[in-house]
Amino acid sequence: MTDDVWDGDEAGTGRLVPLYILVNGRTSPRAHDLDLATQVFALPVDTRRLEPEYVEIVKICANWLSIAEIGAYLHLPLTITKVMVDVLLEQGYLGIGSPAQEEIADLRLMEQILAGLQQSLNARD
Amino acid sequence: MHLDRKSVKIVVAGGFGTGKTTFVGSVSEIPPLTTEEVLTQASVGVDDVTGVEEKSHTTVALDFGRITISPNVVLYLFGTPGQDRFWFMWDELAQGAVGAIVLVDTRRLDSSFPAIDYFERRGIPFVAAVNRFFGECAYTEEEIRGALELHGNIPLLWCDARDKSSSKLALIGLVRHAMSRMPVSA
Ligand SMILES: Nc1nc2c(ncn2[C@@H]2O[C@H](COP(=O)(O)OP(=O)(O)OP(=O)(O)O)[C@@H](O)[C@H]2O)c(=O)[nH]1
Ligand SMILES: [Mg+2]
Repeated sequence: MTDDVWDGDEAGTGRLVPLYILVNGRTSPRAHDLDLATQVFALPVDTRRLEPEYVEIVKICANWLSIAEIGAYLHLPLTITKVMVDVLLEQGYLGIGSPAQEEIADLRLMEQILAGLQQSLNARD
Repeated sequence: MHLDRKSVKIVVAGGFGTGKTTFVGSVSEIPPLTTEEVLTQASVGVDDVTGVEEKSHTTVALDFGRITISPNVVLYLFGTPGQDRFWFMWDELAQGAVGAIVLVDTRRLDSSFPAIDYFERRGIPFVAAVNRFFGECAYTEEEIRGALELHGNIPLLWCDARDKSSSKLALIGLVRHAMSRMPVSA
């Protein structure tokens, strides 16, 4: 066994898992493609009926923002951010972009990234 | 409904103190951000979601940055946590990633071995990048490859994590490598 460092218990310390906290009746997001790089943005919807914590999220998503960025800006743990964003998606307050690349090889996207990186390199910003 | 907004993820990995945070910071267009995950000790059951009553909690911090590639494509760079015991987060970071840069500190080559092993096993494209900020390197490329058990088809690059252009070149090297492994199809 050589993979115990990554795939099993380490020196009997037990494994670490995200702390699941009950938010709005759920402990994990239902949309399974919610990745920490997934971007969302606020739809033009009246937020007056939302709780303040949710309004905060909608507010900072005036432009596209990733789950990781929302968590960082609002100092929310990732799991909680995901669940809250999931609730907002489901209730139509947020729109969602494509999740980070799936198994499907997307050569055109890679070409775009390459071109973008090369351009920014030449720009010497 | 998914709108035409794409996220691309690259993982910046490596052993403890190899320069991951520095690398992310030097290429990011925004000051690098930190997001946190609260972890708890799982008893035994893997899918046990009753963590609320657990006692000990640990917080793991993830550094990340972003590069806007085009009006609808954003590249996110995530640094792995320095400590191995946060392996759980590696899975989260690696999921859907187009590839990884494994930073290497020539004073402690072996510290990056677990990272290499991780991406190797999962078939995630990666390059090894020797971080120059630790000064002149006493090893040849062959010696480094040998110590890291790097396959011949894995690029070994040199970079200075403090330098934006140098770090971007490493990213370009990774993207090229990842593309070379993609099946050519229409
Ligand atoms: N020799 C040298 N060391 C540096 C330089 N810049 C930063 N360091 C040190 O190198 C170490 C690694 O830098 P980080 O970018 O924080 O590395 P890291 O991989 O994110 O570290 P962990 O997250 O703790 O694993 C830190 O202890 C820095 O103090 C430099 O220019 N030269
Ligand atoms: Mg770090």
